[in-house]
Amino acid sequence: MTSDHISSLRNPSSIKTRFAHRFVLALKKLSMDRASSSVSMADRYKRYRKVRAAAYASMASSVGPKRAWARALLRKIRNRKMGSNLMKRLGSRTGLLKKRTVLKPRNHREMGSEQENSLRELVPGGEGMEFYRLLNETGHYIKCLRAQVKVMKNIIDLYSN
Amino acid sequence: MSSEENMDRGMLMASSEVDPFYGSNWDSIISLNQEMDNSFCDIRSSFAQNNGVITQRASRNGVISLDHCQDSEHRVLGDSLNGKKKRKVSFGASFKKAEEQYCKDPSEDNESPEEHDEMNKKVDQNCSTNLRGKQGVDQANNNAVGAEPSKENYLHMRAKRGQATSSHSLAERVRRERISERMKLLQELVPGCNKITGKAVMLDEIINYVQSLQHQVEFLSMKLATVNPELNVDVDQILSKNMLNSQGGIAKTHGINPGLSPSHAFRGFSHGNFNGLPGTIQPFYPLPQTIFDNELRSILQTGSSSNPPGQKE
Repeated sequence: MTSDHISSLRNPSSIKTRFAHRFVLALKKLSMDRASSSVSMADRYKRYRKVRAAAYASMASSVGPKRAWARALLRKIRNRKMGSNLMKRLGSRTGLLKKRTVLKPRNHREMGSEQENSLRELVPGGEGMEFYRLLNETGHYIKCLRAQVKVMKNIIDLYSN
Repeated sequence: MSSEENMDRGMLMASSEVDPFYGSNWDSIISLNQEMDNSFCDIRSSFAQNNGVITQRASRNGVISLDHCQDSEHRVLGDSLNGKKKRKVSFGASFKKAEEQYCKDPSEDNESPEEHDEMNKKVDQNCSTNLRGKQGVDQANNNAVGAEPSKENYLHMRAKRGQATSSHSLAERVRRERISERMKLLQELVPGCNKITGKAVMLDEIINYVQSLQHQVEFLSMKLATVNPELNVDVDQILSKNMLNSQGGIAKTHGINPGLSPSHAFRGFSHGNFNGLPGTIQPFYPLPQTIFDNELRSILQTGSSSNPPGQKE
């Protein structure tokens, strides 16, 4: 797997560059949309949520549909977004619509060790897989999270200098 | 007669098993018997002259038995028969005919004369010996004594001496080995886990690491949300500086935090500790500096405005 990591760095269309690209575009869009630097906590918190969602969404979309965790992540974000939109309009009725649990075969979920279950919670989309596949997805997820952290740090450094 | 029929059925199953997945099964069988490759190729080329599909299929099976028996390891063929018997494959009557030709009627054959006479004789002998070998194998399998291997369904696993050979335990063992293989790969990914053996501890480390990475992302996004109201900078500029900064960033962090052990650091991560972080992940990957150089150059040359094509994982 280390060779995978290194080859992805060497590649100009690696995950890092793709992610950086999308994330920066998303940030640009966000900054254009919102009002300029409102200091209130609620607004800051909203902004933070949007930035985080943008980070995960751009990560997942640059990974592509091949990975289960990316799909699950995008699905989660979309559900949350749609759920919040619907909540604004319909009020109490959306409680029924929002719930989208993955009803995969139950034998994957039962009988897991404690750690296995906590890992399933951590990795998006980990609920319905069997353990071997969960480990695969975890490996790739770790790789992409690392890339994400690096890129975001660089962007922050860029802005603060 | 019943045992012969059983063997026929086994070989039929084998043949019809081999056919739909011709490439994969065949290759694994070949790889398991490396020393017989040469003889196998000769025989196969001789068989290639046959007409008709049925006889070819039968001949391939005959080749299996021939190879295995030339090696004078009944148990291998017996095991393949045994293992293949367990598979639920339906066989056609045509195969049965061809098998019967091979094993019971060496005199009649509708193929090229010379080599096949020899083949048939050999196959006949082998058939009889296989019967005996197979019965012995049966007993041995039941007792799990004498290193009798049996084959898995889709992965060719061998049960070792003294281990249970039921299909369930074999599948379990295959699964466990795959999982431990994955855990080893994950061990390389998570920094500071080289000395850890044991699934539970390793899982704990992985969970910690993933949690810390997710926390980092959250913290960074919070920082980003507060820090950047002014986003007038061009995208290209950002990307190129991104590469430059990452390269510089790595150098910086190497200088700042030489002695930090990563596992210790990221476990003690708290939101206020931002400056303590950068050294945690980098030290194990000193290579990226030179690689970012090339990346940066290529990006600056080609211009990063176009979306990079293709999706790679």
